[in-house]
Amino acid sequence: MKTALAAFMKIKLLIVLFLTLSAVTAGAYDRSVLAEYNDLYKNGNYQAALEGYLEIAAKESYNPYAFYNAGNAYFRMNKPGLAILYYGKAFRLDPRDPDIRTNLEFAMKHTGQNFVPEGMPKALHYLYYFFSDRELKAVATVFWWLACLLLSIYALKEAMREKLRGSILGAGLILAGAFFWSAARSSSLFSDAAVVTENSTQLLSGPGETFKTYATLPEARLVKVLDDTDDVYYEIGIPREGIKGWVKKTSAGKI
Amino acid sequence: MNISISNIFFRDIGRLTIFIALCLCAFIPPSLHAAFSISAETDKQSVEINDSLYLTITVSGDSSSVPEPALPQMNNFNIYSSGRSQNISIINGKIATSVAFTYILTPRFIGKQKIPPISVSNGAEKHITPEIEVNVVKAAAAAQAAQPQNTAPRAQAARQPSARAQAARQPEEMLFMTAETDKKAAYPNEQVNLTIRFYTAVPLTSNPQYVPPTFKNLISEDLPPVKNGETVIKGVRYTYSEIKTALFGIEEGQASINPASVFAQIHQGGAIDPFDPNFFQQFFAMNSGQGETRQVTSNSAALKILPLPEGAPAAFNGAVGNFTFSAEPDRREIKTGEALNLSLAITGKGNLKTLLAPKLPDMPDFKVYDTVNSLNISKDNDIIGGKKVFTTVLIPKTEGRRTIPRINFAFLDPATKTYKELSAGPFELTVEKGDGEGQNVSFAHGGQAALITPISSDIRYVSDKTAAPLTGTAAGRISAMPLWLNLFPVGALLLSLWLARLNDFRLKNPMLFRFRKAHGEARADLAGAADKLKNGRPKEAASILYDSLLAYLYDKSGHKVSGLTMRRTLTLLKEKFPDAGENALNGIKDLWGKLEALHFSPGGATQEEAKDMLETYTALLALLEKEFKKRG
Repeated sequence: MKTALAAFMKIKLLIVLFLTLSAVTAGAYDRSVLAEYNDLYKNGNYQAALEGYLEIAAKESYNPYAFYNAGNAYFRMNKPGLAILYYGKAFRLDPRDPDIRTNLEFAMKHTGQNFVPEGMPKALHYLYYFFSDRELKAVATVFWWLACLLLSIYALKEAMREKLRGSILGAGLILAGAFFWSAARSSSLFSDAAVVTENSTQLLSGPGETFKTYATLPEARLVKVLDDTDDVYYEIGIPREGIKGWVKKTSAGKI
Repeated sequence: MNISISNIFFRDIGRLTIFIALCLCAFIPPSLHAAFSISAETDKQSVEINDSLYLTITVSGDSSSVPEPALPQMNNFNIYSSGRSQNISIINGKIATSVAFTYILTPRFIGKQKIPPISVSNGAEKHITPEIEVNVVKAAAAAQAAQPQNTAPRAQAARQPSARAQAARQPEEMLFMTAETDKKAAYPNEQVNLTIRFYTAVPLTSNPQYVPPTFKNLISEDLPPVKNGETVIKGVRYTYSEIKTALFGIEEGQASINPASVFAQIHQGGAIDPFDPNFFQQFFAMNSGQGETRQVTSNSAALKILPLPEGAPAAFNGAVGNFTFSAEPDRREIKTGEALNLSLAITGKGNLKTLLAPKLPDMPDFKVYDTVNSLNISKDNDIIGGKKVFTTVLIPKTEGRRTIPRINFAFLDPATKTYKELSAGPFELTVEKGDGEGQNVSFAHGGQAALITPISSDIRYVSDKTAAPLTGTAAGRISAMPLWLNLFPVGALLLSLWLARLNDFRLKNPMLFRFRKAHGEARADLAGAADKLKNGRPKEAASILYDSLLAYLYDKSGHKVSGLTMRRTLTLLKEKFPDAGENALNGIKDLWGKLEALHFSPGGATQEEAKDMLETYTALLALLEKEFKKRG
């Protein structure tokens, strides 16, 4: 009973630590710079605001709010494809942020797409995207190291084996959970996803102008990138319609 | 108006049920809370060009207030508001409201004219009426002849007494407007009638478009319909259209009426002279609709709003006019927790729209809920009046004989410039003990939290957060580590496993490890003995050497030699190391004997003896290591 309580307290402590770290933000650029861009946005000068947001995003590739703000500017400029692209980037960095979720959902709905797949409970969708890809990878890495360390101690210190058994099992389970969660996410809508950024984008049967046009894709449509090794074209798949083809990299942006 | 509340359904409902019901209500879409319907109709399908028709838009809803219709732009009609009529009923605590908005429409063109769809929106839902078609016909000549004072200006096809004289007049004299009030001073809320007349001595190619004046410190109320007639001014026959508006001063001080305008299309050539050689050409050109647009404006006017006379009674709350007052509860016998409607009716002449509810006296025996009102406005003989009923829901708190105290209403009669006070009540009620506690009666804005009505949706505003959450940053850095770094813990684990295995082997073969470690430990003992010698303690040094030799022999032979004789020890060593030389065994024998002698002698070893033993032991150790390796 005591062991269970102790384990519960440890988990609770980890959760509190995680949430605290989530709330604390790493110091970045001067707040007045952002305020200046936000003023431009407020006054309707979306293009100038966008340039500022993109500048921040270029410097801080892990800052979701720079992408979110850029998405807002694009949305105001009536560029839903680019708006979804940047909201998607922000979402992949911080999927728990309510503003990012809301705006991505709004923009997708605006373009006739579902953020939460039909039939999927919203709570389950929230849980499915609770951690970002990076966080899952980091959790897997940390617990890989931890599991190896605990196993090493387990092997060396016979006296501690009894005590370590539970911790090793816990670390192993978390590691396996993070691994399977990542694996499950690889088939999600936002994994290896790209957004069509130009209206009536041509879907070609091969990576070149000489190939036949299969279909035209509407702006803001989310597609799956199957191969991005070509310099000019993405090989993409559209799961809903069950078709695949090539689009120019200039006509779509990878989230 | 019929107001009734039945509490039968709710009598047995406990607090919990009410709470659950309220919670469920919170999840019902707002549109269902404030459902309403709309209808529109005209009083006639066909109208003469000089006549007018009534358009009634009825909005019915289930809250105490319903939205007003938004009239679209109608270029084919002049529109005048003719007031509203409201009907409210409360059944089982639910309100049903029906408001009829009445407008007077005067046509501007002959032919089939359409009243476009009219929309009403409450933010959550929008209803639209169907288009209404009205046939506008020419004015009947007989009617014109019989009623010369009720003809439209366009229909007055210039029965000028002297067409030549008319044609010779200046254009600005052919069309003009006047604005005048029937009073120059009035009390706040006292009715003042404004009459605006548009005169024309030339035929118009279409009905004129009227732009009403704007007012300062005045509230206006249309007084339709438009009256038409003919008059002669300075020898010129004019047809005129007269629009009346009731005005009410807002507060003491100056009030002003800005000019009104009329846009009229007249025949370009002005009046047609029947003696003109081109009469027929001009006549047909006129009928073909050619003309120029003229704007005519009226004069401005001023009004003085007088201060209210002194000595206003306590019940006076701004009502000016001439009213009657009555009050009546809808029942005299009631149970605690049940609701009764107390209706206060004010009827008479005056600005009922701005009339406030008479203040109710304190009623500690009752729960007093919001007051709703219904209004019926009449405009007979250009006097604004009607009836306004204020309905308040009261719920008695305790049983017994309870009294609704006397209710007073006071107003200023502008005719006599005196205040008049009317009263109603008191009303005696018999209150019996009810089955439950007082139920909640909820109006749209009372008794429960106001509902939020979504109007539109949009993206959320930009973020002012300057940096990513620390978890995101840390996760980014960890996940950016090269993959090969993750092989390190694997290496550490493998090393640990090897060490564990080694340890296990050592535990299982202790003598093997003692054999291997014997030389190292003996050398450490030699160093310790040398240290003792250096410090001038030869006895202790000899003891160290003696213990060290026995321990070394124990580690090498696998037998505890301290319990054996020297001879037995040497035999065992010979058995274990058959290839070891005799000199090595003799060396052991010799050193063991000397050390034993020194160790157990009462005086102990001298510095020289101990030093000698140290050197001998060092040399023997090197020899033994060499000899013992010959073992195999």
